[in-house]
Amino acid sequence: MLKKVLAVLMSATFVLGVAGCGSSKTSDEKTTETENTGDSTKDTLTIAYTTDPEGFDPQRTAAISTLEVTSNIYDTLITCDADWNIIPDLAKDWTISDDGKEITFNLNEGVLFHNGREMTADDVKYSFERLQDAESPKAKMYANIIGIDVIDPYTIKFTTEKLDVDLLDSFAYPWTAIVPEEAADNLKTEPVGTGAYKFVQWTPQESITLVRNDDYFGEKANIENVQYKLIPDMTSQLAALMVGDVDITEVTADQIDVLNNTDGVKGFSKPQNSIQILALNQENEYLSNEKVRQAIAMAIDKDEIINTVVWGNGTKIGSHLPVSSPYYVDTTDVMPYNVEKAKALLAEAGYPDGITLSLKLPKTYQTHVDTGTIIADQLSKIGVKCNIEIIEWATWMSDVYTDHKYDMTVVAHSGRLDPYNFLSRYKSTSGDYISLLSGDVDDLLDEAVQEQDEAKRKEIYAEIQKILAEEVPCVYIQSLSKFYGLNDKVENFEIYPIDMLNLKAVSFS
Amino acid sequence: MQNYIIKRIWSALVVIFVVSFITYFVLMLIPGDAAQLILGTDASPDKLAELRNAMGLDRPWIVQYLEWLGGLLRLDFGKSYLYSTSVLGLIIDRLPVTASVAVLSILIAMVVSILLGTVSAIKRNTAIDYFSRSVMQIGSAIPTFWIGMLFIIFFGLKLKWFPISDYSPLSDGLFVHLRSLAMPCTVLAIGETGMMLRSIRTSMIDTLDQDYMDMARVKGLKNKTIYFKYAIRSAMIAPINVIGMQFAKLMGGTVVVESVFSLPGLGRLLLIAVEQRDVVLLQGIVMFITAVVVFTSLVVDLIVMLLNPKIRIRTRGE
Repeated sequence: MLKKVLAVLMSATFVLGVAGCGSSKTSDEKTTETENTGDSTKDTLTIAYTTDPEGFDPQRTAAISTLEVTSNIYDTLITCDADWNIIPDLAKDWTISDDGKEITFNLNEGVLFHNGREMTADDVKYSFERLQDAESPKAKMYANIIGIDVIDPYTIKFTTEKLDVDLLDSFAYPWTAIVPEEAADNLKTEPVGTGAYKFVQWTPQESITLVRNDDYFGEKANIENVQYKLIPDMTSQLAALMVGDVDITEVTADQIDVLNNTDGVKGFSKPQNSIQILALNQENEYLSNEKVRQAIAMAIDKDEIINTVVWGNGTKIGSHLPVSSPYYVDTTDVMPYNVEKAKALLAEAGYPDGITLSLKLPKTYQTHVDTGTIIADQLSKIGVKCNIEIIEWATWMSDVYTDHKYDMTVVAHSGRLDPYNFLSRYKSTSGDYISLLSGDVDDLLDEAVQEQDEAKRKEIYAEIQKILAEEVPCVYIQSLSKFYGLNDKVENFEIYPIDMLNLKAVSFS
Repeated sequence: MQNYIIKRIWSALVVIFVVSFITYFVLMLIPGDAAQLILGTDASPDKLAELRNAMGLDRPWIVQYLEWLGGLLRLDFGKSYLYSTSVLGLIIDRLPVTASVAVLSILIAMVVSILLGTVSAIKRNTAIDYFSRSVMQIGSAIPTFWIGMLFIIFFGLKLKWFPISDYSPLSDGLFVHLRSLAMPCTVLAIGETGMMLRSIRTSMIDTLDQDYMDMARVKGLKNKTIYFKYAIRSAMIAPINVIGMQFAKLMGGTVVVESVFSLPGLGRLLLIAVEQRDVVLLQGIVMFITAVVVFTSLVVDLIVMLLNPKIRIRTRGE
């Protein structure tokens, strides 16, 4: 028996010794490998990601992690560039009828799915019907489309029930991807699209591999292979970027300076189409009082939050549109930071001795947790005591979003091109967790979506933004930015106002 | 002895069944479900009801449970909604990683603990004893994620000895495989050594104080024979239970170390199943871990039985 134990111990020691020797040898090999990939022959773009996508079916998910990958595998009729401009994609051009209720797309000819079949108007019709069916999370957004007519294989007409002036924008979102019917059942694991990259393999919790589509109808991708690599830990992601294991990784604001001062890597930051809010539940006893909400708005020092949480890389806002939106108006002075006035408002509302509220923060989003912590401290100065509860995203979805069981919460809204899709949740009838119960924006929203005159529409949206700033269904904190660490060789990397991460233009220098 | 083993296997099955029922029940109490997560911020009550219906989530949970249990008897663990593949397949894919990590870490910890533990028990209150006692304290006190990060920054980033995020399976070659596991396993071993070393040292001291040790010395046996032939054998009985449980724990996956070192193991699969409310997947993993724990403790009992003449004789007498 003893001999056996000793034998096991000895072989274990041996194995470890070998591992030690092996390491020095293979590390040499690795170094030469890295040097080789370092020259112009580098043909694989490696991107770090933290959470697995929910598969690759763009019409069966709301997960941004899925859409950021699928936007490279599938195409949409139209798309948008980094500066919010609508540009042609599968459709080469389009016409909108005078009454604004019909839109006709002319499709590019000779576009092939990755399975080799040509994409035609029938596929477009099928994809949109799929987008509208019961299992699609985005169905509600497309309920207004009542007719989809295939005119010829390369022409398709959409008819809406009510006038929606922002209709065109809704054809650019990544979930309007055109998919082939024959592959539809397995898109979650075997995506087939028309995009610049073809799907190769998904190893859950390890990697996703894409390869350039050489039959792509447009300008082909610059880099031959794309590999997404799952690295859950932020420190490990940064370390992997620095040794050259990955080329692109998301980072936090504080790391941008470090990256810019490190050889071989660089930081990338850009305002994102996303706003951070502190939602106030108007169904709450205290928060149903507008004065209390205004007091809270005035007690919050947004500059302090921006400086502390995102190291100054954010822009203060006063209403529910991001600064980068063409419809944005500056409303930051409607409820300026003023502790004295906030205290007075709270006293006026009948609570001179203060109140106690719960503050639910989604654990998955560190930025929101940090922001919430600072807000709790700021509110304590006017006598509003916050009981912080840090909850999981699934709990947030069910308790806060669906059941409205919350007093206050910090979260972000993002990824919509047109202001109507951003703001329609404020309709008093929407049943949304932040709908404005006074109903003061209901008519304006209906008006805006029907107004074909651009200038007038802008005025209406400005009015809505002002009302939201005054009635404070939420305290609007900041327009968030996105931060990436890039290998020095990565060029033309961009972020987009909608949930996509388009890699076909990215190249190595 | 046969009766004993059959009894043990029978009680193991009962444990597995009870655990499956409890986890399913608890999961039903937690807020949030898969439908809600799929719909995200676009959810509306009617949409939610429709999707729940489509996914079969609106049926009574006991029906869902029985259906799942029925599948289990046919070795069908069900399909993960998140990955759209068989749960059993997902677990089996992760098994080599988790098993390699568990075996290697336990081996490292055992080598260190047995050597240090024995020596420090023999040479009580000397420098080496103090050293090994500090190893115990430090090993159990340092958080693994922190030491993991230090390893990544020092051995991965500065010295470039080991890969930071490249897990290589055994099929890539033994050296590459062991090299990719060297850092995570060392980090885990540091944590496990604390507990293992303490148990071995205590048990060894206890054994050395027994009368029969004096007997052996009086008999004139050499120290080497006394320590290695008699003392270690009897002193290992208690620690083997500890080691067995440590091994079972590691076989269930190690969320923190797997995350820091980007290892595709069971721990992270479990984590994502919880986060995404993938009940079928979660249930499958819990079942698997339960089975591993139950099986390990069965094996440990058998080993102890073989090692310990007293237990061996007693069961034989039954």
